[in-house]
Amino acid sequence: MTDGRQITGDDASRAAEYVLGLMGAFERRAFEAEMAESAVLRDEVRAWDEDLISLAQGFDEVAPGPHVRGALEDRLFGREARRGIWSSLSLWRGLAGAALVGAAALAFVLMRPVVLLPAGDAPVFVSQIATEDNALQMAAVFDAGAGVLQINRVAGAPAEGRVLELWLIAGEGAPVSLGVLPPERRGRIAVPEALADQFRNAVMAISDEPPGGSPTGAPTGRVLAVGVVTAL
Amino acid sequence: MATRAEIEVLIAQVGMRDRAAFSSLYARTSAKLFGVCLRILKDRAAAEDALQEVFVKIWYNADKFIAGGYSPMTWLITIARNHAIDRLRAAQALTQGMGAEADAVPDGGPGPEALAVAASQRAAIDGCLEELEDDKADAVRGAYLEGYSYQQLADRSGVPVNTMRTWLRRSLLKLRDCLTR
Repeated sequence: MTDGRQITGDDASRAAEYVLGLMGAFERRAFEAEMAESAVLRDEVRAWDEDLISLAQGFDEVAPGPHVRGALEDRLFGREARRGIWSSLSLWRGLAGAALVGAAALAFVLMRPVVLLPAGDAPVFVSQIATEDNALQMAAVFDAGAGVLQINRVAGAPAEGRVLELWLIAGEGAPVSLGVLPPERRGRIAVPEALADQFRNAVMAISDEPPGGSPTGAPTGRVLAVGVVTAL
Repeated sequence: MATRAEIEVLIAQVGMRDRAAFSSLYARTSAKLFGVCLRILKDRAAAEDALQEVFVKIWYNADKFIAGGYSPMTWLITIARNHAIDRLRAAQALTQGMGAEADAVPDGGPGPEALAVAASQRAAIDGCLEELEDDKADAVRGAYLEGYSYQQLADRSGVPVNTMRTWLRRSLLKLRDCLTR
């Protein structure tokens, strides 16, 4: 660790909690926002990462199956996403896992959604919907009491002549449209009462669609970004 | 195992979208990173999926590596560990509320302390963890290697969650004092 820097015990233990993944979603985001402004905190987080890594460094090396490399290179450098993408639940879950900005989000991949959390007793659900490269990032907060979904698109925009459409996938169900995203970065989407209880353990996704949204009621364009919904 | 400098150069080249460097980085580090994924996820298929995602993240984030100031293996292993823990938790979140009991940690078998560190590697942190009481050191390892939340750590130790929080924070500060000595 770097010597001689001024850091309080509280900051040091919070940095460790952040690295260990012990913070709740809200606390974590607040910490990340603070970290974006503070080199001292970033140094502290890095120091913990460097110190704790030796817990993982002694694990045995194991060769992964040879197919992993092929699949990886196909995915990064090969053709566009395969057809039938929407019908595969396991793929959905895989994507959701990949897009999940969880407790262990990398210190330097800072997401700073500025969304005011509603106060009240009704459940509140949050989701960070993002592409792998973070070119498209949106925070969504759903206040089940008010039936209002607040969105804040922090990066990315629809392609020329296209729109972005937001989807909710509950459990094993088919994607249900929550509507076309407004052109503004921030907005509110009214959620029908019937959908309000579908947010628990759901996944949200953004797809690329023609103007006016999907004509079929099911996604027709590419899945751009996916995020797991977390209850606060 | 490649040297630190070699890995550093490869990551920097991957940051410039060099596919040959990516292939070379994969050849040199995938077994290490797969070992980490496998240890955390305890399932080969899940760990292979995770490894793929880890290398996708490496490809897209390598350009930020230099600015981050991390040592190269720490950077790579941190990506793997964090992604595996996220997956473990996402899987738990998906099984909760679907009737399945989310108990992803099988009893028996070697615990984290047995598997965590090869006997030959006496890193500073081990010495410092030894200075903590056993259950506190186990809590630190459990959070790092099993992704346990405060609630899960409290349940395992049979103490209230606030007690666990106080204990662990105090232990983390002790650990930090030891590491900076």
